Amino acid sequence: MVGLSAGERQFIHGGIAQDLRSDGRQRLQFRPISVQTGVIPQANGSARATLGATDVIASIKAELGKPAPLQPDKGKVSIFIDCSPTAAPVFEGRGGEELSAELSVGLQRCLLGGKSGAGAGIDLSSLIVVEGKVCWDLYIDGLVISSDGNLLDALAAAIKAALSNTGIPKVSVSVGASGEDQPEVDVSDEEFMQFDTSGVPVVVTLTKVGRHYIVDATLEEESQMSSAVSVSVNRHGRVCGLIKRGGTGLDPSVVLDMVSVAKHASETLIAVLDSEIASAEAIDDDDAI
Amino acid sequence: MEYVNPLTGFRLDGRRPNEMRQIRGEIGVVAKADGSALFEMGNTKVIAAVYGPREVQNKGQQMDSQALVRCEYSMANFSTGDRARKSKGDRRSTEISLVIRQTMEASILTHLMPRSQIDIFLQVLQADGGTRSACINAATLALADAGIPMRDLATSCSSGYLCSTPLLDLNYVEDSAGGPDVTVGTLVKMDKVTLLQMDAKLPIEMFTDVLQLAIEGCKAIANYIREVLLENTKKLECMRGS
Repeated sequence: MVGLSAGERQFIHGGIAQDLRSDGRQRLQFRPISVQTGVIPQANGSARATLGATDVIASIKAELGKPAPLQPDKGKVSIFIDCSPTAAPVFEGRGGEELSAELSVGLQRCLLGGKSGAGAGIDLSSLIVVEGKVCWDLYIDGLVISSDGNLLDALAAAIKAALSNTGIPKVSVSVGASGEDQPEVDVSDEEFMQFDTSGVPVVVTLTKVGRHYIVDATLEEESQMSSAVSVSVNRHGRVCGLIKRGGTGLDPSVVLDMVSVAKHASETLIAVLDSEIASAEAIDDDDAI
Repeated sequence: MEYVNPLTGFRLDGRRPNEMRQIRGEIGVVAKADGSALFEMGNTKVIAAVYGPREVQNKGQQMDSQALVRCEYSMANFSTGDRARKSKGDRRSTEISLVIRQTMEASILTHLMPRSQIDIFLQVLQADGGTRSACINAATLALADAGIPMRDLATSCSSGYLCSTPLLDLNYVEDSAGGPDVTVGTLVKMDKVTLLQMDAKLPIEMFTDVLQLAIEGCKAIANYIREVLLENTKKLECMRGS
């Protein structure tokens, strides 16, 4: 819970109206973003993203599983987000569960496409080992360590970085005697395949405060929002998912305007994130040598 | 299995029996908390965040003579080798929360802050044995960062006994070997043991040696923590510009 006085509230509103926010940013300017990859050695891929004082970790674990009967040619991906009580005392005990569930479902919607897996940021058919029998299950675990607003964007950025850091072991399949049995698989310890993460979208959340909307809201700004629209946009400027949060209704034309602004803002975010991921990977590789 | 090489006397990870894993402490990792710290012991990595002293949230728990200290320990889904969805508040974490709370309560000067509450939250990022020791050390750093008055630095370290050798600071492989695991928490300057836990069995004459080894480990950690705090204070002084 953010405790703000009437003066502080007015200061935030006034600043946003004049395009000069409390921390000196403009309405459509992000806080400095930094990415570190390979932070969890026991995971297949991991990354830590900080966006101002917001700090999140994403880890990716791959396990061999069985594909769903309805989609025999696709692997499975699931996203779980946890809010650590270190981020805010309200997350203590079961206090963080509601927000965790909201973030998990939101990210699934933005990154994984529809139920059939169509439109997912990750190519799900690349996760298949033996069609209909064996596939990779990707478990994406996010952890919020420190929270200063805009968790969804930060988590999506961390997941994007973690995916590009992920190595899935190469698998060789020995053909079984009968077609009915589970085929025997041999997981390689040395050879890994990398993901193509160019299709993974970024999430841009526009928070509406007063008559204007801002990107990358801090906790104080979020407490003043009337509604927020999170848009996930990929490299080609296509909208991959959309969530509207907050109680106040929005005019349909405003929603359309917000989507186009988000699309515009995503271009800068993708560029910054790409260079951050590239430099993080370079540092990570240096450490490995 | 040979946990100590009979020829060279080295352990599986190349340490000597009385050698600790590499330790690292960092202050101020959670921006919004009143005090926070990261503590690493080898591959074990925990974050501690302290909120308070602040108003008691649940008025029924308020005490007129001293502060209320609360503690919550949680493990990240990815902290262990095989991924498991952990439910919050299982027995193991409740027990560890309790142990850490009692250890920290022994060092905090609770009578100076009556009718207030101090929350300590511990988040395990990587677990490789000795998480409760790492948590206590992280909590001490975080409490100091929050400026909470303490009697002494509470530090903790574990030791064990495998292949007829007392070993300091067990990692996960050594911990699961089935030998005794003695976790000790101390107030170093006051020379007091505030936490002592042991599982499995150990001859009483060996116990003295193993306990002494763990206490030596605690002292080494306390020296390191003092260095980190001093370094941090110097940095703060520099930032103030005096």
